[in-house]
Amino acid sequence: MAALVSVKDLVKIYPTGTRALDGVSLDFQKGEFIVLIGLSGSGKSTLLRCINRLVDPTSGTVAFDGIDVTRSSGAALRQIRRRIGMIFQQFNLVKRSSVFSNVLAGRLGYRGTWRTILGRPTRHDVALAFENLGRVGIADRAFSRSDALSGGQQQRVGIARALMQEPDLMLADEPVASLDPATSHSVMKYLEEINKKDGITVICSLHFLSLARRYGTRVIALKGGKVAFDGKPAEIDDRRFKEIYGEDAVEVEIGLGLDGAKPTVAADSLDAPALDLRIPPDR
Amino acid sequence: MADYFTARGLPVPKELQRNPLTEWRRTLLVVIAIAVFYVSFKVTDIDTSRANLPYALEVVGKLLHFDFLPPNDPSTSVLFPQNEFETFWDGAFGLMIVTIFLGILGTAFGMVVAIPLSFLGARNIMAGNRVTVAIYVAVRLLFTVIRSIDVLIVVIVGAIIFGLGNAAGVFGIAFHNIGVMGKLYSEAIEGIDAGPVEAITATGASRLQVIWTAVLPQLFNPFVSFTVYRLDTNVRLAQVIGFVGGGGIGQPLFANIQLLRYPQAGTFILLVVITVAAMDFASSQIRKKLA
Repeated sequence: MAALVSVKDLVKIYPTGTRALDGVSLDFQKGEFIVLIGLSGSGKSTLLRCINRLVDPTSGTVAFDGIDVTRSSGAALRQIRRRIGMIFQQFNLVKRSSVFSNVLAGRLGYRGTWRTILGRPTRHDVALAFENLGRVGIADRAFSRSDALSGGQQQRVGIARALMQEPDLMLADEPVASLDPATSHSVMKYLEEINKKDGITVICSLHFLSLARRYGTRVIALKGGKVAFDGKPAEIDDRRFKEIYGEDAVEVEIGLGLDGAKPTVAADSLDAPALDLRIPPDR
Repeated sequence: MADYFTARGLPVPKELQRNPLTEWRRTLLVVIAIAVFYVSFKVTDIDTSRANLPYALEVVGKLLHFDFLPPNDPSTSVLFPQNEFETFWDGAFGLMIVTIFLGILGTAFGMVVAIPLSFLGARNIMAGNRVTVAIYVAVRLLFTVIRSIDVLIVVIVGAIIFGLGNAAGVFGIAFHNIGVMGKLYSEAIEGIDAGPVEAITATGASRLQVIWTAVLPQLFNPFVSFTVYRLDTNVRLAQVIGFVGGGGIGQPLFANIQLLRYPQAGTFILLVVITVAAMDFASSQIRKKLA
């Protein structure tokens, strides 16, 4: 079976000289829920952004559904991008715009510039927007300003916006890093649902290994821009964990606070400040 | 503070050690400041020997004795037309209103040119490739050059082109504001949150769609705020452009002072002060709401 995304010898060197990716080769299959883990600066965000070319790789290739993303530009690149949804740590909504217009924006890749400027969405797009808002459970907030929503709700708007693209692939860059544990699980469950129900392949970077184990069908660890681990979530034992995160790392549990149950967070022996495994502050 | 460390036998931190060089530099700085002040005085040849305080106070008294106060006849005040050839618009009230509109027109024309240019002068919009970066540098340079030419000079040039009067004034204000507003707008564009831009780009939107959807909504407030601020400033400018032939209330104000018609000049000044205070208040209130 041909891979949905095929990354080959990918290298990214930023103008500052940072080698964010140092020869990454990976194949992502259709229907997988891939979790990317690794320390901050290990190249997770860069890898995700190379897939939809928000970042231009220095060398190597990325193929999406057989099309070379790295050589595409203009309209061809936009046609690839609209098949790849993306959600972000900071949600990246247009804060001053309504939830509804933020969700509609997910459709821009399918629509002409004039329609955008005249502000005339098609009937189909409007119906689709309400449908997707309903799916993530915030249809009642459709006409609120998007920055009036809580963090978890904003991330759900982000998911609805990405769903508008009717994507084959969903990229999620630390989607829960700014959320509290309970909200984190609710957002992750939406990602799980679109993966299982809609068959959308998900590539999601996470800080918490417990979330990776719970939701991922495959875990890939990056370290210094190289693949340090690629396998089943259950295969990450203590030794592997230390390989990925360094000798001083201590695993932090983020409780499975499912369905309103109070999440438990154990971070007792967290005395490795160099590591980005901290519990984000409650919002 | 250093003795806290010496008393305990600890090494004194570098920052606390006395540095003769630093102290010498500090002294030198003070000496230079005094020298510059002294030289300025000498070069400009400031002469205060002819200062005449009693006369000055007398003039201030005349200025404050506005021409609409008794014993002057209020109906002959410069607030109103002075003879049968003049209309309401030649009186101080009329001229003040005209002056406000000169400021508004100058702002409007400046804005219309500055807004499109400001996108070309924003680093984040133009960071694409070498050509766009070159355009960015050129536009920013243009803004700086335009800003460095004072309004009064541009108005004089305008008076050569359009002849004396309102057209020259509006030209001067508009031209100068292309530079000022262009820079303010460009900086507002550079200050936007890049997150939504990234997110909308990722949906497969075109560059224009990204600007329309993710950039413009973020610019509404800062643009309105800067425009209101400049409008306030430009109405002030509109009051002095008359000194150099730019029309508005400045021309009769200047003429009355030169003709030693102080009570009349005082009336003009009073009107200007009230207008400026009102504009200032309104503008700061609007900008506070937008912040």
